[in-house]
Amino acid sequence: MIRLITYSLLTAAFSLAIFGSACAQEQNEEPEWHPDLTNDWTPVEDSVYTGQMGEAPSDAIVLFDGTDLSNWESAPGYFTDASKVPEYLEQLEGDFDPAGWNVENDMMTVEPGTGSIMSKQRFGDMQLHIEWRTPEVIDGDGQGRGNSGVFLMGLYEVQVLDSWQNQTYSNGQAGSIYKQYSPMVNASRQPGQWQTYDIFFERPHFEDDGSLIKPAYITVLHNGVLIHHRQELQGPTVYIGLPEYVAHAEKLPIGLQDHSDRVSFRNIWVREL
Amino acid sequence: MTRYIFISFFVVTLSIAAVDRALAQGQADQPEWDPELTEDWPPVEDLVETGEPGEAPSDAIVLFDGTDLDAWTGASDDRDDAPWRVENGAVTVVPGSGGIKTRQGFGDIQLHIEWRTPEEIEGDGQGRGNSGVFLQERYEIQVLDSWQNETYGNGQAGSVYKQKAPDVNASRAPGVWQSYDIIFEAPRFDDDGSLIKPAYVTVLHNGVLIHHRFEIKGPTEYIGLPKYSPHSNSLPIMLQDHSNPVSFRNIWVREL
Repeated sequence: MIRLITYSLLTAAFSLAIFGSACAQEQNEEPEWHPDLTNDWTPVEDSVYTGQMGEAPSDAIVLFDGTDLSNWESAPGYFTDASKVPEYLEQLEGDFDPAGWNVENDMMTVEPGTGSIMSKQRFGDMQLHIEWRTPEVIDGDGQGRGNSGVFLMGLYEVQVLDSWQNQTYSNGQAGSIYKQYSPMVNASRQPGQWQTYDIFFERPHFEDDGSLIKPAYITVLHNGVLIHHRQELQGPTVYIGLPEYVAHAEKLPIGLQDHSDRVSFRNIWVREL
Repeated sequence: MTRYIFISFFVVTLSIAAVDRALAQGQADQPEWDPELTEDWPPVEDLVETGEPGEAPSDAIVLFDGTDLDAWTGASDDRDDAPWRVENGAVTVVPGSGGIKTRQGFGDIQLHIEWRTPEEIEGDGQGRGNSGVFLQERYEIQVLDSWQNETYGNGQAGSVYKQKAPDVNASRAPGVWQSYDIIFEAPRFDDDGSLIKPAYVTVLHNGVLIHHRFEIKGPTEYIGLPKYSPHSNSLPIMLQDHSNPVSFRNIWVREL
């Protein structure tokens, strides 16, 4: 190991020296390039072991494996517009009741009226895998049919909805970044079938004075199909009005929404990025 | 349908007018927001049907399903047939025969490809299970047996070759099938050849994110620094013959 480090250091120093002179030379003549000059020997030490598609990789934090809701608790009620976001963030400082949803047959299901739930652990940049299913028996239509949502940091929603032959506004259908971006395609499966989201999320960054340095970005695969590629979020998801960033912590809980429909979830894991 | 379009049109017009009014009001006092003002109609109609994880969705172009190399040609222009071996549902590099490339050209894509390095370890570093997936024939995602095999980080499996190491090493043992899910945004060039927008790539290696919309610096260079030069927006996907019998299977692409 020591020998490897020494070797790496030596190579790095050597490369830098040559690279420097190659760059300097570039001003007047062709540099004397060698393949080794562009080899970066900083080793990637983090090995991740993977199983079947959708299975949690070895470095993932499993939030729900079908057994219980010990990683979840009741969430404060959600905000409807941007002016209510600070109040929501303040509420997160309190204590919360256990999650009131049902766990049965290796899945958790919204118990309408018990309220939304959130992960006890808080996350910022992440890769999130989550599987969901809307009720097989169709009840209601539009936004009233199999509605729930995955709230990254409790603020940024990827819509869950039964969008199988169900008309609604595009920035509110399954896979939409609710009221901000429509999915590129409708990759929905039939009601009663399990569906997946694989979400890559980069949290927003704020200055000490609360001003935005870097917005949040999101990529989403719906059943393996790309529906958003590193979209720039406009701010926390709001039902009414326009989104607007509000400074918040680097890590916040992941929320799952009680929207009065018996939507189920399973196999939820997250990798911190 | 006509009625639907008419209604949509009406709603859109109404919405735009209302949003304008709301925004104008915003200057002076609180706008009278209504949830409907931020709804986009109509819904997305492009239906994509999906099967098991890794299975080609209904809108995908299947480039290799295990049967033949009809969608492929030799990478060098002088040969029309793809010279690799198809056996047991996989296609394997025939060392020395040259790379293969798709007959069809592509721009922005989502690409799924599975690959396997030889179970029996032979060679080390860059000489062990080496191949590559070249997007638009020039932007390489490295294929290598990086299971307990030291090499430079920006040359190991999943690297954007000589540009960026993968965020983690998600490699499986040699002989085990692995997957790449690649989202590629092709570069755009002006008529005068100047770069308008570089290429971007996101890669999942065995389902693990290893690059999130990384800005590609230019065509992959073995020697020296990458530098963009203008090219068509529709170019083949190329698989590299790097003298090792690496196998591939289940290759499909969705045009974005």
